[in-house]
Amino acid sequence: MGIVRRGWLQPPWEFREASLFTAIAVFFGFILQYAASGQGVPRLYLPVNAIVLGLFALLVLGIGLVFRENTTVKWFGGIPLGLCLIVAIAVLSLIGGVFPQGEVKPGSIWALLGLNQIFSSWPFALTVLLFLANLGISLSWKLVPFSFKNIQFILFHAGFWIALSCGIFGAPDLQRLVVPVDEGKEINLGYAMESNIPQKLPFSIFLKDFTLEEYPLQMFLYDPQIGQPIQERSKAPVLVHKGLKASWDGVDVEVLDLLPFALPDKDGRLHPADKTAGIPFVKVKITTPAGSKEEWITTGSPFVETRDAQVGDVYVGIRPGTPKAFRSVVTVKGDNGQQLNATLEVNHPIDFGGWKLYQMGYDEKAGRWSQLSLIEAIRDPWLPAVYLGFFMIMAGNLLFFWNGIKQKEVAS
Amino acid sequence: MIFDFTTAALAAMACWSAGSLLSFFVRKTPALKLPAFLLSFAGTLVMVAFIASYWSMLDRPPLRTLGETRLWYAALIPLVGFLVEYRWKIAWLKYYCMGLASFFLVINLNHPDVFDKTLMPALQSPWFIPHVVVYLVGYVLLAASSVTAVHNVSLQLRSKSNANGESVSHYLALLGFVLLSFGLIFGALWAKEAWGHYWTWDPKETWAFLSWLAYLGYLHAYRYKIEKGKLQWYLALSFIVLLVCWFGVNYLPSAQNSVHTYTQS
Ligand code: HEM
Repeated sequence: MGIVRRGWLQPPWEFREASLFTAIAVFFGFILQYAASGQGVPRLYLPVNAIVLGLFALLVLGIGLVFRENTTVKWFGGIPLGLCLIVAIAVLSLIGGVFPQGEVKPGSIWALLGLNQIFSSWPFALTVLLFLANLGISLSWKLVPFSFKNIQFILFHAGFWIALSCGIFGAPDLQRLVVPVDEGKEINLGYAMESNIPQKLPFSIFLKDFTLEEYPLQMFLYDPQIGQPIQERSKAPVLVHKGLKASWDGVDVEVLDLLPFALPDKDGRLHPADKTAGIPFVKVKITTPAGSKEEWITTGSPFVETRDAQVGDVYVGIRPGTPKAFRSVVTVKGDNGQQLNATLEVNHPIDFGGWKLYQMGYDEKAGRWSQLSLIEAIRDPWLPAVYLGFFMIMAGNLLFFWNGIKQKEVAS
Repeated sequence: MIFDFTTAALAAMACWSAGSLLSFFVRKTPALKLPAFLLSFAGTLVMVAFIASYWSMLDRPPLRTLGETRLWYAALIPLVGFLVEYRWKIAWLKYYCMGLASFFLVINLNHPDVFDKTLMPALQSPWFIPHVVVYLVGYVLLAASSVTAVHNVSLQLRSKSNANGESVSHYLALLGFVLLSFGLIFGALWAKEAWGHYWTWDPKETWAFLSWLAYLGYLHAYRYKIEKGKLQWYLALSFIVLLVCWFGVNYLPSAQNSVHTYTQS
């Protein structure tokens, strides 16, 4: 590095000017946010956002190519400004990564500066816009004249440009609606998060059947004084199976018998029952220094009382296992007559007429007896563009990995 | 189970210590080189065998709790040390690596984590393993990059030249960046399938993005005319961001409703 002392703003511009510019931009963003009294950036919907983004892209590429030799434009598309903007985005994200995002008291300084919704605030939007401009200009120089030598650069930078710009400009078009549907019923309404006003969907969902599969029952020793289970040394939940031997301080429990689906009759005798009504019963043998006893205990259900075994001041109890899988068998009917029978499950969404339908939840209080399935309907018209960006970055990544290794050979 | 882990952990640490001890004498007695390596390597094999048996016992990949990810680090970090010695003839890194691996095992010995067989439905996805494994390997490489950078900084302070060490930390960071990029995108693709959207600025996502930005910044600074020596400081310190992302997010105020927090006992 040459030791040429350069005054402020004296060309060629570099890091000092870039940091000053970035700091002013972020500061200006906070002023804007404050002036808009905590309102975020205006939301543009299709096709307006697509047109604005298209014009922005043309403007950036145009400036980059037409003013290629201009020193200010060179600085504007250079690494120093890019680095400062990366730092600015990192600092703003840091705010979002440290402080809880979401509702706060309106009128508080947090709300006025947008710190509680940093990712849709003016300073963040402004920084991202400048970042896209900087990245776009540097891209224009590598795109024209085109050369295969630059392919790795282009895949990375254009991929990121596309993914970031489409993700952010397209965000307002993302629709996420929760559709609560009861077994045997049909519904064509969805609710946006934190809203009670239903919106009409272009299709209806009929829920034929909802099923919940659970992991094995869990057993624990419960102290009503502390109000929580006493943990076994390994801290693992004790999963119940026939023959299980578990022990807590001074209390040994053995599982003698396990009826997965049973019901008691009038006299309290247990009989096997079918899967829909029956509940699990476990016969335990409990041994303490004071002696031993055998007893049937059960998780209970909305219809049968829970039964725990008392041992001195504490209780041995069982509870249903955590959910392993839950699925909804549905028929989806489009307004245009299109129809689809499908099973929805977590991690296995289905596509229907431009929407994706997800198994989201159920009535957790009712557990296995839930009659309600929560389905989420999502539409994101910008997804293909964002994914195109992702795949370009991954392709660039593979090249980078390959070239990185090759450079290593040369370096040694 | 706990007993098995104790045995495996102690055996692995015994192998690493004995291997390291032998390595000290390699300079005087070159014939010891192979036995020293085999002994050190055996420690990693023990961990790999333990993870395999643990995996089959659990009926799910042991990648869910922090304690489980520590098992993988313990198995993989020494491998980086061995590879760097093989490729770059730098011997000291492997001692740090085996030390770090032992440190992870000692944490696990002191905190028998939630050894829970269950796997919530959202984690039952073909993306689960690639996403976590790519990140694991990425973190391992970046950890090694930082350790190397710290070593380089200490050499600089004593005015010793060390071009080889500087290129090692650089290439480890470069490979780590590639894996972070894949991890980030795999995570986004998985999130779309499981939770409905590819990016929600969940605290874990935000921190993963921050660590990626840290290394992105490094790569561009490296390309620009910035002294390579200064960048060693940068690499050494970047690891702090990774550590927050990996361990710290659970403790931040923003983590209240993250879907990513590891199960805590
Ligand atoms: C802020 C705007 C950015 C600018 C101005 C910028 C500019 C540059 C420049 C000029 C180079 C050197 C290219 C060469 O020598 O052929 C470069 C390299 C690179 N850039 Fe960017 N970049 C930016 C953002 C990004 C982003 C967002 C990514 C990731 C998706 C990225 C990934 C890379 C990679 C992987 C390299 C190669 C580094 C190496 O070879 O050591 N850059 N960038």
